[in-house]
Amino acid sequence: MRKGLRIADCGNGRRIADGIWQIAKGVSGLREADFSNRLERRFATLHPCARIVLCALSLLLIRSPQSAILEAQAAPRGKAVYDKWCAGCHGDDGAGVGSAATYMLPQPRDFTKGVYQIRTTASGELPTDADLRRILDFGMPGTAMPGWESKLTENERTDVIAYIKSFSKFFAGKAPTAIAIGKAPSSSSEGLAAGRAAYQKLECFKCHGDAGRGDGKSAPTLTDDWDHPIRAANLAASWRFNGGSTVEDIYARLRTGLDGTPMPSFSDAVESKVVSDEDLWRVAQYVRSLSPEETPAVREVIRAGRVEGALPSSPADSLWAQAERYFVPLTAQIIVKPRWFAPTVDGVWVQGLHDGKRLALRLTWPDPSRSPDPAWDEWLGRVKQSVFEADGAVPVTQAGDRLVLQFPQRIDEEADRPYFLGGNTRRPVYTWRWTSNPDQATEATGTGLGKYVAAAASAVTHSARFNAGEWQLQLTRSLASADTTKSPIFREGQAIPVAFYAADGSNAEDDTRGSVSAWYAIYLDVPTPPRVYIAPIVTMLLTAGLGTMVVMQAQRREREHGRSNLEEYR
Amino acid sequence: MSRVRQALRHPFWQAFILLLVAYLFFKFGIAYLPALLGMHSAPVPSSVIMQYMFIALVGVLIHVSSDEARWRQFKEPVQATLVDRDKKWLRLSLLVLVPLLVGFATYQRTRPRVDAPIELRSIHPAPPGQITFRGKTIPLTGLENPLRKRGSMPEHLRTGQRVYYQNCVACHGDRLDGQGHFANGLSPAPASFADAGTIAQLTESFVFWRIAKGGPGLPREGTPWNSAMPVWEDFLTEDEIWAVIIYLYEQSGWQPRRWEAHGAAEEGKAP
Amino acid sequence: MRRMLLAVVPAFAILACGGAKEDAAEGGAPEQGEAPAGATKVAEGGASIGGTVKFTGTAPANPKIDMNEEAACKAKHEGQATDPEFVVNDGNLANVFIYVKSGLPAGQTYTAPTSPVVLDQSGCLYKPRVFGVMTNQQIEIKNSDPVLHNIKAVPKENRGFNISQPTEGMKTMRTFAMREVVVPLECNVHSWMNAWVGVLDHPYFATSAPDGSFKISGLPAGTYEVEAWHEKLGTQTMQVTVAADEGKTQDITFAAK
Repeated sequence: MRKGLRIADCGNGRRIADGIWQIAKGVSGLREADFSNRLERRFATLHPCARIVLCALSLLLIRSPQSAILEAQAAPRGKAVYDKWCAGCHGDDGAGVGSAATYMLPQPRDFTKGVYQIRTTASGELPTDADLRRILDFGMPGTAMPGWESKLTENERTDVIAYIKSFSKFFAGKAPTAIAIGKAPSSSSEGLAAGRAAYQKLECFKCHGDAGRGDGKSAPTLTDDWDHPIRAANLAASWRFNGGSTVEDIYARLRTGLDGTPMPSFSDAVESKVVSDEDLWRVAQYVRSLSPEETPAVREVIRAGRVEGALPSSPADSLWAQAERYFVPLTAQIIVKPRWFAPTVDGVWVQGLHDGKRLALRLTWPDPSRSPDPAWDEWLGRVKQSVFEADGAVPVTQAGDRLVLQFPQRIDEEADRPYFLGGNTRRPVYTWRWTSNPDQATEATGTGLGKYVAAAASAVTHSARFNAGEWQLQLTRSLASADTTKSPIFREGQAIPVAFYAADGSNAEDDTRGSVSAWYAIYLDVPTPPRVYIAPIVTMLLTAGLGTMVVMQAQRREREHGRSNLEEYR
Repeated sequence: MSRVRQALRHPFWQAFILLLVAYLFFKFGIAYLPALLGMHSAPVPSSVIMQYMFIALVGVLIHVSSDEARWRQFKEPVQATLVDRDKKWLRLSLLVLVPLLVGFATYQRTRPRVDAPIELRSIHPAPPGQITFRGKTIPLTGLENPLRKRGSMPEHLRTGQRVYYQNCVACHGDRLDGQGHFANGLSPAPASFADAGTIAQLTESFVFWRIAKGGPGLPREGTPWNSAMPVWEDFLTEDEIWAVIIYLYEQSGWQPRRWEAHGAAEEGKAP
Repeated sequence: MRRMLLAVVPAFAILACGGAKEDAAEGGAPEQGEAPAGATKVAEGGASIGGTVKFTGTAPANPKIDMNEEAACKAKHEGQATDPEFVVNDGNLANVFIYVKSGLPAGQTYTAPTSPVVLDQSGCLYKPRVFGVMTNQQIEIKNSDPVLHNIKAVPKENRGFNISQPTEGMKTMRTFAMREVVVPLECNVHSWMNAWVGVLDHPYFATSAPDGSFKISGLPAGTYEVEAWHEKLGTQTMQVTVAADEGKTQDITFAAK
């Protein structure tokens, strides 16, 4: 209903509003934008029947003007919306260099070139209005662009699109047409194998890597049309795909390419029979299969299951396949100096196992570079040029990658947790610090991000493995603490607060430039104590006994006194 | 039909229906009814529902026992269930069902829990009377935004917009809804200025304090160890903070809460 | 260095265009470019501007290309592959795009040739590296390597494109509608691959051959602003007056930066 009868769907809501405006403007002193927005809001509150009647009437009464004329009227109205909500990123002149532009990567769209990534039109063509509308309404996952459907009215969005188009001379030409997109063949395991074969044949791995994690050989060299560095998409994180995560979305991107980026269109390859249309669909299905079906949910408690045999000895151990994976989102460290606005790692997968004596954690996270790697020098240089170097120059040489876990020094459920960002001098944190170069893990006491004192001897052991654009790291420590003043005892059945920090050395990251998480908790599963089963049985027996007693007593009384008392009152 | 009407006049069923309605109201009514009128609300915690239900139960018992006749009438179905021959099966099934229910409730309480520790925090803790901003003492009580009386408003808005987009937008978002591109993963979530419960409830001096001192500057009840709000006095000048405050109110459409003309000592926060 | 370059870059036939003085161009340079094949010169004149592009100073060494990832491309190069930014022979500079910038009779229109210009990708380099086309003249982009190439045009006045050619032998036709000197072409799979195309609405352009020679012919008498463009050395403009049927010699000199 909501979708079915909005003003825009009624013939053309804009047309009605404009028509009525034409009639009304001589009478009232309203500004036009105010008028049409009010009209639209008013219209939305009407009874559906009234809306239909009004639609029909207005379509009969009002001569339908040309859409170009409508757009010419809409653009100036769109300017007000644009200046208020869009200019901060996209700039007053639409060139994509607003105040926030260098504080993000990818950077805001430059509307003056008329080059758009997400289209339904052929490579090099302009997007259709519906393409622009989709991005405006729902945003672009994996970028700073949010969806505006909930914030701006129908009219405001129509107007702002007209205004955005006015930034580029190319929209003056004839309207683009969407390419025809067929239907996906039904999915099957053979289909996925065919998709994998086509992925190899089309050499998608050159940029996206063998496992699709954006770690291909060409990945460090990629730039967009504005000479900003651009990542080959991590195909294992479909929730961050700019143009949507369905098989149809992916197929459309393969056909149209992502203009302005290195991603080419495969339409010519299909037309010249270099690849069949079906195989391209198979590629789309294969790519989709690389990501979890659902966007990973964030859960606060990470359960570490108890194993009876030996704990895994490396992150490649098959035992880890049985441990549940928890996704911990990481966010840019833009809280204390020096900050970094374009970190690589946006989440870590955590698994835990323990055997009653030791706790083993397996951490996996996508990182296209095994830092330091000379192939990524070029990337580092470009990132340094494109992203604002807040709080001092960023490193010019690549450091290693790193991952830090922090815990409170003592685990006391009553007490406050230390400051989540590395603790402070008043409440230090206990950390496990792993670096790729040199490959080592140490225990340390942290008194703030990047401020730490390593322990003389480390009780934490590690095993790290870089595999096709992914770090896999196992960290293991005994539940007992070597020094209870500095490190906590891990107890079964207890929520152990934990927070994470990750950095990619090839992306100018170090001890404070990187990604951080909030506090989470690791829970070490306990063997279920017998009282869990005994207590319910006892209470059940007690209740049943008590109930039986009440019944028996009532019946005895009934036999002794009859129901005479009751009958007296009737 | 008449049996239903008869049942409705019966104190036992009246009591039963009253309690049921009370429970549904506490559980769902309080959470969702005000929303229909556009007011904000939240679900009632189960422990509070228990308290409310206890009070309701006491009230209902007082009602049914207030005169002897009603009390007897109330007890009648209970007594009948306990003794009547034709209610044998009902009696037996209750004797099985009730213990099962109690057993299940016990299991729910004793089974191992894996919830993260609950933390309560005050959303708008009481501000201090004065703060030290980069070594300068600024009294907060009665403080107004100095930029509103100085310089040009369009200029302040331009500055405010720049400051917002360079520093705040990543978390608080360009829709001002606390859903910026780096908001994901922060706990507590960044404040939504679009929400009627944040800046709309505060004086500009309170907002200045929160921006200047950030998460680490929160008093104990605001759990400083979790908020990711930076200490902005390390990054921004006094005027930049006042400018971004002007921008926040202009962009969100809210009005800052004003100091009472006479009550300068009043706290700058929502009641 | 120069000799080395000539030795390592394989000889390669490029345009099947008439009037070529040599059979092959080297270092990715096209042969002497007169008007594109099949051009119908509406404003036919008998004058020409020709000469040699000279280079003074020492050319920087061309960057080495690491082709280890692309064995098939590497095999097409003898020894170390380099990116032919500077193709200098005996003080003569190739890959300079020379065109009439202004001075042609107003209102005159020129029809694009019907035959396409061929842009080949071979040994993970573009052949030719610098060339001209007329507006709406077909460019036949072909892949002679058994590897994936993508061809991305990043114009300012025209609409761009970004197409993939995953297999050897694939051909794709593209055109540009607007005058634009020059449109960069690039391959993102091989970040070193660059080419430049000058798009003009008239046929009076040429690209300097490996021996530095060029010739723009068929010009009517007049005074023209002529511009020479090089990818690293920038542009030079000059005024050139030609009488009817005059064969004017206009040498151009670029100095090392």
